[in-house]
Amino acid sequence: MSSLELLSIAIIMLYVLGTVCIAVGLLARRDRLKRLSQWLTLAGFALHTVMLGLSMQGQTWQVLEKAYYFRMLSWSLLLIYFFVWWRLRLEFLGLTASPVALVFYVSSFMLADVQSKLPPAMSGLFFGLHIGTLFLSFSLMTMAFGSGILFLYMDRKLKHKARLSGFDRDLPALSAFDKVNHLAVMAGFPLFTLGMVSGFVWARIAWGKMLSWDPKEVVSLVVWGMFALLFHQRLALGWRGRKTAVMAIWIFAVCVFSLLGVNFLMTTHHSFNPQ
Amino acid sequence: MTRNPEPTPRAAYPAGHNTHPAKPTKNMDQEIYLIGLNHRTASVEVRERFALTDCTVLEQGVVPTGDDISEVVILSTCNRVEIMAVGTGSGAPERVPERVLDCWAAARGQKRCDLEPFVYVHKGIDAVRHLFSVASSLDSMVVGEPQILGQLKDAYRKAVGRNATRVVLNRLLHKAFSVAKRVRTETAVASSAVSISYAAVELAKRIFGEMSQYKAMLVGAGEMAELAATHLLNSGIREIMVANRTFERGLQLAKQFKGEAVLFQDLFVRLAEADIVISSTGAHEPIIRARDIKDVLKRRKNRPMFFIDIAVPRDIDPDVNNLDNVYLYDIDDLKEVVEENMAQRRDEAAKARSIVEEEAGNFAKWLKSLDLQPTIVDLLRRSERIAQDELARTLKRIGPVDEPTREALQAMLCAIVKKVNHEPITFLKRRFDEEEAGTRYIDITRRMFNLDCDDVPEDAHSDRKHPQQRDDA
Repeated sequence: MSSLELLSIAIIMLYVLGTVCIAVGLLARRDRLKRLSQWLTLAGFALHTVMLGLSMQGQTWQVLEKAYYFRMLSWSLLLIYFFVWWRLRLEFLGLTASPVALVFYVSSFMLADVQSKLPPAMSGLFFGLHIGTLFLSFSLMTMAFGSGILFLYMDRKLKHKARLSGFDRDLPALSAFDKVNHLAVMAGFPLFTLGMVSGFVWARIAWGKMLSWDPKEVVSLVVWGMFALLFHQRLALGWRGRKTAVMAIWIFAVCVFSLLGVNFLMTTHHSFNPQ
Repeated sequence: MTRNPEPTPRAAYPAGHNTHPAKPTKNMDQEIYLIGLNHRTASVEVRERFALTDCTVLEQGVVPTGDDISEVVILSTCNRVEIMAVGTGSGAPERVPERVLDCWAAARGQKRCDLEPFVYVHKGIDAVRHLFSVASSLDSMVVGEPQILGQLKDAYRKAVGRNATRVVLNRLLHKAFSVAKRVRTETAVASSAVSISYAAVELAKRIFGEMSQYKAMLVGAGEMAELAATHLLNSGIREIMVANRTFERGLQLAKQFKGEAVLFQDLFVRLAEADIVISSTGAHEPIIRARDIKDVLKRRKNRPMFFIDIAVPRDIDPDVNNLDNVYLYDIDDLKEVVEENMAQRRDEAAKARSIVEEEAGNFAKWLKSLDLQPTIVDLLRRSERIAQDELARTLKRIGPVDEPTREALQAMLCAIVKKVNHEPITFLKRRFDEEEAGTRYIDITRRMFNLDCDDVPEDAHSDRKHPQQRDDA
């Protein structure tokens, strides 16, 4: 077993433990477990960073189209999580961040043999503009998804004057969840747009046409449309609260479908299925 | 935070080991008395009549008679008077309550017979339990309200300042504070609002979080609205506006809250600025309707609003609650929240009582051990235990030895234990025969060798800046 594989196992273990700790800590209302989860996830994230650094050493950007695709995604998810946590102190988002990061990290093992079709000269720029932006944007939407679920849960309870359990009392105020949505939409939509545009430009250069009605492209356009609507309504009409939470959840769902469903199951030039 | 697992079942200690046969040197039996009245035993007139706003008179009356009463702490609030005293000597059980009641009545210029029917007298573990319940706010009018702990701390600080406490009450009060803390952290007895106005504020916090950037509007100037506004101000709300039909009354109220009075006809214009609306007008028809609020919401870009309708009949159309980002609670909803919280507090109070019971038991055990014999036994036992542990460890390291060597080692350890402890024990015995120093030296010894296996919190002595350390007294 290579040292990278050992590292991977350690990372997965830390993420699993982090996920379990945050779930148990929140449900059983144990502050110490919550803090422990924070540290475990942070340790996993540190190892994750080391691993990405090691495997990129002496490699071109090409390598990142392979298994590292999902590892980068998982990494950026936690990067955003820690950023949001630092800004808003919402430990609850760990409940979405840790498991989703774990899922993508584990998924990366299914991609071991995929080859990149990118010419090395362009990949650095392309990577940053297309993949980097979309990853960050997706990570932000994951946070909006987690806070959206909790917003809907609490909103319902308050509207129906339902009895608040101990778990509910530990939840932050409704406005905090909306802040996450605000951040995700305001930063996420421009990033997503940039990622889309660079993708089309790159398609024009590589394949000679912008749009080839590939399933991935179609799904991405749908996401962009939803995202644009949400961005507009939030900014221009001052939408907030329930409607924006619902939209964020939908956008996240379609994104996950696009990442896992389309890439693995459909014929697309983004496919991960080794041909 | 792990407790030293050393068990100290005094009764289980083999009598033959006792190298110092019990010889009743002097009766140091200290008994704790708690004499008082509270909102259950006395009406407000009686409580007023016997409130001890100034404790000095009573303390001076009680303490100098040193023989019977050696320590006293007096707590007097609007709901209760609690006098804790420590009695010494054989005649104490009758004399202490008498003496305290005499002084108490005299301090208020009243007759003792007027006071006696309303007073309870607790002794020993009952007194300890009662005090712990009071400190943990289990005995309060509203179970779980935390003010009483602060009042008790004040009372204790004053008593310490007047030099009226010694070993027993010092420990008792400190224990009471730590029990209250334990109850607060381990049970949810104080975690939820039990008044309507406070419940409303709690809900506002669920929606808005940090209150400092939000504004509230009072529509109408009822008493309950005023109360809620006070709570809101206390939790740090930025501003309070008042819209009242009679502008003068609104102005008056706004002044009281350092807020702004708003003309009633401008209500819907100004409502866009308000995040929290407390309505309590005497109107017969709803004055705030969903369609009005729709418009208000548009102007405030859907920033959330929280409506609290404490008027009967209701001021706010229930349809308002169906709008997004708007939350409406009427008086019945709030009452329900309060009921639930009350029920939760009652459940938690049972848990808290068992904590109090356990701690009272521990305290009684300590009080009993505050005597010469148990302390000597504990001291010797502790040393013997260390010696035996070390012997076992050494034997494990050097491997098996023959029986004579083992016995020789054993004998040597016994001799060391006896000789090392000889001087401290002689010293203790000598001091114990002196006047009141006895208990103090016993207490110091117990603490020095940690015979009660207390876990001392890191901040245990942070409150010692007050002149409470009385070793030079």
